[in-house]
Amino acid sequence: MSDFLQSYGFLLVTLIQAGLLGLSLYFPLMAGQLSLASPGFYALGGYVAAIMLTNPAFAGLRDTLGNGIFPLTWLAAGLLCALAGVIVGVPALRLRGIYLALATIAFIEILRVVALNLSITGGAIGIFGIPQTFGFQDRWQYLLIFGPMLLLVLAFTYMLQKSRVGRAFRAIREDELAADAMGVPPTQYKVLAFVIGAVIAGIVGSMSAPFLNTWNAKQGTFDASIAILAFVLIGGSRSMWGPVVGGALLTAVPELLRFLQDWRLVINGLVLVVASLYLPQGIVGALGKLRRSPPPSRPPVAPTTDAKGGTP
Amino acid sequence: MELSSFVQNLMNGLAIGSVYAIFALGYTLVFSILGIINFAHGAVFTLGAYFTYTLVVGQFENNGLLKGINLFPDGSPFSGSPVMFGLATILGACAAGAVAVLIERLAFRPMRSRGADPLLALVSSLGVALVVVNLIQLLVGAEIYNFPSDAYGEVQPALSFKIGDKVVIIRTVQLIIFAVSLVMLAVLGYVIGRTKVGKALRAVAESPSTASLLGISVDRFILITFFLSGFLGGLAGTLVGTAFGVAGPYFGVVYGLKGLAVIVLGGLGSIPGAVAGGLVIGLAEAFVPAEYSAYKDAVAFALLFVILLVRPQGLLGRNLIQKV
Repeated sequence: MSDFLQSYGFLLVTLIQAGLLGLSLYFPLMAGQLSLASPGFYALGGYVAAIMLTNPAFAGLRDTLGNGIFPLTWLAAGLLCALAGVIVGVPALRLRGIYLALATIAFIEILRVVALNLSITGGAIGIFGIPQTFGFQDRWQYLLIFGPMLLLVLAFTYMLQKSRVGRAFRAIREDELAADAMGVPPTQYKVLAFVIGAVIAGIVGSMSAPFLNTWNAKQGTFDASIAILAFVLIGGSRSMWGPVVGGALLTAVPELLRFLQDWRLVINGLVLVVASLYLPQGIVGALGKLRRSPPPSRPPVAPTTDAKGGTP
Repeated sequence: MELSSFVQNLMNGLAIGSVYAIFALGYTLVFSILGIINFAHGAVFTLGAYFTYTLVVGQFENNGLLKGINLFPDGSPFSGSPVMFGLATILGACAAGAVAVLIERLAFRPMRSRGADPLLALVSSLGVALVVVNLIQLLVGAEIYNFPSDAYGEVQPALSFKIGDKVVIIRTVQLIIFAVSLVMLAVLGYVIGRTKVGKALRAVAESPSTASLLGISVDRFILITFFLSGFLGGLAGTLVGTAFGVAGPYFGVVYGLKGLAVIVLGGLGSIPGAVAGGLVIGLAEAFVPAEYSAYKDAVAFALLFVILLVRPQGLLGRNLIQKV
């Protein structure tokens, strides 16, 4: 057992981490909103933890709290990301359509440029020598914090889906105007969904900074956004198991494809294209379909039924 | 600010801004017809630059699988004169347009025909971008390729003139970029506003189902749109590559993201908006004071947030009324 953990502990933690980041994107999607911000909040949370654990300004706090500083970094990252989520979310979520996706791209790019230039974030080099959470000796021990975090988030998701809030999210996803007419204020609920995702991504970031030992501006990039979006859509965006399965699988695929060497990233792109063409419901959706009888077939939706843009 | 540095910044801003404009037009054309954003547009931009470089230089000497292959052992016919260089640029842009058509056939049309979630089109176009970028890296490596200085013949590298006692230097390549972009915009404006093809394109953008009832082949015009979009993207790639070098497979990514800021600033789906947005962002970047130049890349995205707050439909976008 300990041999297994020694060899695969790091990979297992990375798989759980991917699943958690997938779940953080699942919340806005529950309310029908495409967000690409998870890597941004992940990076922000990681910076909060890295600064609190290494910056001399927090030395006094670290001495007083001892190991208690680690849960405090999670809390601080969660709170700060909630605040950032409101600031980014409110202007973008008043609008319908693709605006949130574009605003979140802007958010991660601004964050990246700022992190590259501030001295507190270590500039281009980043922050080094972040102490291990609770003095962990081995990487696999991080399973002890990432594992419970995953269970907690899954339980939270499950309960939320059954609640009034979850039903409001789904109502907005199906038809925003109708939801509004039924007394569900779309903007508030959309911002709520977005902020929940932000908090989860931020906490995962603050847990990951000690795990990776170093933190820099490469942590939250547009590439990561694509990867996380793929976790959710290929896993299945209509079930909370989708992001977890997709995250674990797509994180494992590059490892499995290692024998392809230089062709690995090309094949990875092809996997995205083929999966979105042939698994439109995601893996979990496709498995669910196998078990249920197929629904009555609807006529295919016309390519585009209405003008979506302006006059060219 | 002194007049001379003002003129200098103005020219820098107009040159880069006009490239942003024609690049972002590629996004806008596709968006106005399909209502989706083609995330592979940045990769098409990169490809355009590489295609033109292939024609003009004929070999990639640094790295990759194509190393050692020389297309033109006796020297490239496209190098050495402005006309031939221009021809290579157009051919490169056409090749980029062809790739965009291919992307539409492989990644977008299958989704449309089965009425898939539009979000999936984003993922598949991102997947295509990933494939293109990594193929480039595999074939020619990640090195920067600069166009040789004599590629466009005997052209004076820069013009200088005096304002007061200060010298203002304008690189010829900036003037060329600005002029080419203006010509491109004029041609596009004519095609869309005055010709039958343009009329049909506008009809498809307004309502594909009505357009098809009126006997317009919607699929054909979607292909034309993608070709135009790829052509504009590839042309922008060559222009930037000529000015600053073809900076590796990822050099389109930044432009791809800034292009999104441009179209939101101008108004999603609006052609004059894309032009205005491109120029505004180009100028705003050029006028960032030197001590804050490290933050230059954030300017476009900061403007995007400002516009979402004060005028969400964009500078020139029309206010869409939500229909049930």
